[in-house]
Amino acid sequence: MDGSKLMQSPEFSMNRRAMLGRCGMGLGALGLTGLLHDEGLLGASNPLSSKAPHFPGKAKSVIWIFVNGGPSQVDTWDYKPALEKMDGKTMEGFDRFTGFFANAVGGLMKSPFEFTPRGKCGKPVSEIFPYLGEHVDKMAFIHSGHTESNNHSPALFMMNCGVPRMGFPCAGSWATYGLGSSSKDLPAFVVMSDPLGRGLPKGHAANWGAGFLPSVYQGTYFRPKGDAIDNLHRPKEHDPSRQRRQLDLMSNLNRMDLKRNPFEQELAARIESFELAYRMQSSAPEALNVSSEPEYLKNLYGLNQTKSKHFAAQCMMARRLVERGTRFVQIYSGGMANQRSWDGHSDIKGNHSGFAAETDQPVAGLLTDLDQRGLLDETLVIWAGEFGRLPVAQKGGKPGRDHNPHCFTAWLAGGGVKGGVSYGESDEVGHKAAVDKVHVNDFHATILHLLGFDHLRLTYRYGGRDFRLTDVAGKVIAPILT
Amino acid sequence: METNAKTLACRLILWTWVFHPWFVFAAEKEGASKPVESVYRESGELEEERSRHWAWAELKDSDPPGVKNSKWIRNPIDRFILSKLEKAGIVPNPEADERILGRRAHFNLVGLPDVVKEEGGSLDRMIDELLESPRFGERWARHWLDVARFAESHGFEQDYDRPHAYHYRDFVIKAFNMDMPFDQFVRWQLAGDEIAPDDPLAMSATGFLGAGVFPTQLTEKEFESARYEEMDDMANTTGMAFLGLTIGCARCHDHKFDPISAMEYYHLVSTFGQTIRSEIDAPMDTERYREDLANWERAREPLLAAREKFEREELPGRFEKWLLEPPENPDALAVWAILGNAEPKSLDGSTFVPQEDGSFLLSGKNPRDDRWVVEAKVSMPVIRAIRIEALTHKSMKRNGPGRASNGNIALSDIRVFAKKIGEEGKGKPVKLINPRADHQQNTGTLSIASSIDGDKRKTGWAVDGQIGKDHVCVFEFADPVENEGGTEFTFELDYFVNVSHVIGRPRFSLSSQLAPPLKGESKSAELTALLEAVGKPRGVEGMDEKKKRALAESYRSIDPEWMELNGKLSAHEAKKPVPQKIRMMVSSEGFKPIKHHADGRGYPHFYKQTHYLDRGDPNRKGEVIGQGFLPLLMRNGKSSAHWQKPPPDGARTSRKRQALANWLTDVEHGAGYLLARVIVNRLWLHHFGRGLVATPNDFGRQSDPPSHPELLDWLASRLIENGWKLKPLHKLILSSATWRQASQYQEQKAGKDLENRLLWRFTPRRLDGEVIRDSLLSVSGLLDETMYGKGTLNQNSRRRSIYFMIKRSKLIPVMQLFDAPEPLVSQGRRMNTTIAPQALMFMNSPLLREYAANFARKLEAGPEGSLTVKVETAYRQALGRLPDAEEREAGLSFLQAQQDSYLQDRQGNPRLLALTDFAQALFGLNEFSYLR
Repeated sequence: MDGSKLMQSPEFSMNRRAMLGRCGMGLGALGLTGLLHDEGLLGASNPLSSKAPHFPGKAKSVIWIFVNGGPSQVDTWDYKPALEKMDGKTMEGFDRFTGFFANAVGGLMKSPFEFTPRGKCGKPVSEIFPYLGEHVDKMAFIHSGHTESNNHSPALFMMNCGVPRMGFPCAGSWATYGLGSSSKDLPAFVVMSDPLGRGLPKGHAANWGAGFLPSVYQGTYFRPKGDAIDNLHRPKEHDPSRQRRQLDLMSNLNRMDLKRNPFEQELAARIESFELAYRMQSSAPEALNVSSEPEYLKNLYGLNQTKSKHFAAQCMMARRLVERGTRFVQIYSGGMANQRSWDGHSDIKGNHSGFAAETDQPVAGLLTDLDQRGLLDETLVIWAGEFGRLPVAQKGGKPGRDHNPHCFTAWLAGGGVKGGVSYGESDEVGHKAAVDKVHVNDFHATILHLLGFDHLRLTYRYGGRDFRLTDVAGKVIAPILT
Repeated sequence: METNAKTLACRLILWTWVFHPWFVFAAEKEGASKPVESVYRESGELEEERSRHWAWAELKDSDPPGVKNSKWIRNPIDRFILSKLEKAGIVPNPEADERILGRRAHFNLVGLPDVVKEEGGSLDRMIDELLESPRFGERWARHWLDVARFAESHGFEQDYDRPHAYHYRDFVIKAFNMDMPFDQFVRWQLAGDEIAPDDPLAMSATGFLGAGVFPTQLTEKEFESARYEEMDDMANTTGMAFLGLTIGCARCHDHKFDPISAMEYYHLVSTFGQTIRSEIDAPMDTERYREDLANWERAREPLLAAREKFEREELPGRFEKWLLEPPENPDALAVWAILGNAEPKSLDGSTFVPQEDGSFLLSGKNPRDDRWVVEAKVSMPVIRAIRIEALTHKSMKRNGPGRASNGNIALSDIRVFAKKIGEEGKGKPVKLINPRADHQQNTGTLSIASSIDGDKRKTGWAVDGQIGKDHVCVFEFADPVENEGGTEFTFELDYFVNVSHVIGRPRFSLSSQLAPPLKGESKSAELTALLEAVGKPRGVEGMDEKKKRALAESYRSIDPEWMELNGKLSAHEAKKPVPQKIRMMVSSEGFKPIKHHADGRGYPHFYKQTHYLDRGDPNRKGEVIGQGFLPLLMRNGKSSAHWQKPPPDGARTSRKRQALANWLTDVEHGAGYLLARVIVNRLWLHHFGRGLVATPNDFGRQSDPPSHPELLDWLASRLIENGWKLKPLHKLILSSATWRQASQYQEQKAGKDLENRLLWRFTPRRLDGEVIRDSLLSVSGLLDETMYGKGTLNQNSRRRSIYFMIKRSKLIPVMQLFDAPEPLVSQGRRMNTTIAPQALMFMNSPLLREYAANFARKLEAGPEGSLTVKVETAYRQALGRLPDAEEREAGLSFLQAQQDSYLQDRQGNPRLLALTDFAQALFGLNEFSYLR
């Protein structure tokens, strides 16, 4: 049966009440039963057992560090000694329309950073990641990623939604659609963006939109300043007792109404939603309150460092949310474009070392913290942007690098991923994915697999077609799985 | 064989296009009409497809079935419903009480709550009134805007605003309010610019096609794919919105479920090959303008009547009298004799076309330099000056008066020769003195004097600074020209100063006066001659009738009374109101495209040709494709050509979209019957919460089959029969016993039909976000009913929610909270979620608190009374009913407790704060947000 059809039928709610009581009502939780019915996952006898996905997934939740703007693979994790030898040489046969600026193509350019072998696996890591270098034995690197657009927003849509177009559900929405939330009173899918006023990623909210999926599955955007979500504070004239009395009146009147319409279970659900909302007034701020964390953890994340404190706070919130049952958290590093994000068109050295300094210690702290709490095994941490950057210079006073859809590096850690491994290779200079190429659809198929889904079967019927995150392709990268 | 022939034909087409770009249209038609039908489907096969699937089969206008319980029947709809219920052994619910029905009718038709009136009117009358309310269009437009994926920004990276896109929203509201026939509503959205280009409303309707997302930052590699994406959006939305067909599924391969091939998809897509978003300045047919125009016309009537009366009753007599007493000095009547019969020639090949006012309009070749030779014969006894006017015309740049690219002129030299008629040669040169002009570009090289300074190359009269206006210059003769029996003049005018700076509409005149004024009274040379004749002995007697009639016609212009009457009329004519121009976004062809970031990179906005794309990939281009429609929905042996008409010569648009609209609305041979099914289902959906077909945007094989196919067809047939008017259908549905059923859940009936597909009750449902917000504003007395115009992103706005601007990156949070869809793709129906953040909104939103406070103030400002009275009034206004005893009691004790608590804390006005809390609680009740 078509999930959307079922969900829309008010009669469907007949069976919903029991579910609500037990599975809670995170922002994304309602409608879950509809999906489970749809997927044939709800056993007739025990509805709760079917909360499981297609098969038991290693990862229960995801934290995606979105390296916004497109990090340069050859300056971060994909060490290219050949570039040093060929520095300054013209790249033969290079299509100058590969990047964004066809008229600023320079010669090949070596990385301005030193690479040193790190960890047991000896992975060469750029000097801009002193802290993360400590964790390479937890990471599975993908060096052969490639995508379909050389332009930010289509590439962002591709990386988030599986197609380079606007209007499709993103990975977080699919995960929430598939798994629901295990939180009683927190959003299932949370998105955080740059709090330093550098803007939103290009394409804005469409990057965490639910597309044609029910809107409950869209990412809940936490405002970087002020209250993270709307309407958490009771009216200024109220105190807890006055608000409690008001809620009691509503509940009382609603129950009188329910007595007249005893079988309208949707009404009962709505009554409960007010109780949940009442609890959220305290639970949501509590979940986001990083100041209550112990001092050693603050230091671990770099919360006391000027450069990294904003990102440290976001990483810490991510851990607190995941701990409390949030399914999917995405944190964007950097704002819109150019020098406001990892989009190093000019001064690749200054750009990348700057953004690395903001994020290196916080992400490393997150990995350590998750590990120490035993959460890393069930939390998948992703480090990826929308595309890579070119091995040739983009000309300018301080040379930069232009967009490169043909090659990027990403890493995964925790949640069922092998540590200290590298998958796929780029060519000699890091221009194009060369060996064991990984398309974005493959990347997504792998993420869904780690969450327990066969990406071919996690579908939604819209406009006459069964859509999935992986469009019409996708292959799980088995060698990096534990 | 056929395939080969087609490929060959396409090669030929390609060849034709490459070498003769202007043949492209004819060539495309060739491609369109042939291959679609014959190559991809056998006609017999399609007939079978149609008959096998309910949506594509012919409409069956069957008689409403017989039923046992005919007492229940209010109109034919009920027979279809009851017949199925009886077969299933279910008794329909009784009629809901009048109060519930009134509330239902309000929410369904106008999206605002009713207020209980002291006297109840009849429900039928109320429905009629609601259908006529301007609020009706505002409610129903919202449903359609979901389908049209309407928004007012581009989306993607920068999400730039489309500040003039709101006209489409206003069009939809107006169309529903005026009950525009639905087929016209469809036609205008696809091709209003081709069907009624002079009607701004039709132009604004085309906003439909351009409402989709579009990237604003493009690299060269993305140009083509972005354009195909855009055309796909148009075709796909058209398919879903009008036909319930998921056409877009055939983009990469033949449709997996429905008989639509990928090739057919591209034929359809090519309809939009040239269609782009543009902004135009359209005259707005505003109420104010219409009023002004009517007033102007009313004031014009007496003026016109007075002149006509004078011409009828007075003028002939006055002319006769004038003939008997001709003026002594006829020359005095006219300063200037206009040489309308002169014979100008251009040495470089321009053409002079004589105009009614005696001027000549230049056309044809526009040479760089030119010399004119103008010959003219006149009978005036003495001539003392020549005048040359340089007049404006819309054919010239900036209206001229010159043919230069900036509208300027530059007359480098003028020479005049005169001889007695019949003499040999061009005559003696006439010395020109005292050059004068109404305007000259400077006092040196471009002055009027420089036209007779002997320099034929570098200096001459020019008029920049006053382009777009008529200009005039005069040269006097050093010695008067006098010839017995008439004079023959030759004027030579040189234009050598600047490129094509030739006068575009010259007029030549002569005067016998000394130092004549630049703009003195001018008459045609003929009239001057006639006037002369009158003055001569036996002049009138010797005149033939033809001449006399011409003179009579000319006479009125020297009759002072006629001149006065005529002057008043002309003065009024000059004040004719002009409609205000307003900028609107349209989807059309041949207008300047909306500005785009990638313009600098050479983004072409559209491509002359549409290609078949293998697997939908612009890097795998196949043959060039012409327009064609879906063979599935072409019947009776018709092919696409049946609806296509070549555009008239010089047309701005290709008329392809008009052809699409023709096919789409053609009930007999085209897709019109399916169009009718799809829209009546949408009406049913919004009245009952579920369509007869549960998937309103998909009527294909994967869709939900209709619960009552005969009723669907019967309603579609009535729609077509009513001339596609929707309001009668609304009325019919709301008058049915089916719609008027109570919503009570009955376990025993549910046991037989849990989903209520057979409609044994009215299914209760939550109101849409817009209706909830509008109701809050309305009940708290804050609703601003201003209609139309630019929307706003300000959540504090108190206008109806449909007037929120829809910016894709800044969707209004409260609308999103209540399931307003993201305007990215067509949405036929909304989700309906119940989530905690909605409850948080009712509990804590400062805006909601403000509404509640205002509601409380409104209650306090009403007639004085006890809290009991306030509770009752609040219930009446918020929920449309009175509280029962238990509810009243609960409300009163709550008010008391809150009041005491506020009193204790010494907060503000305790009673008002308590009432605010109570008002807010009522807003948060299930009953407030549910239709039942």
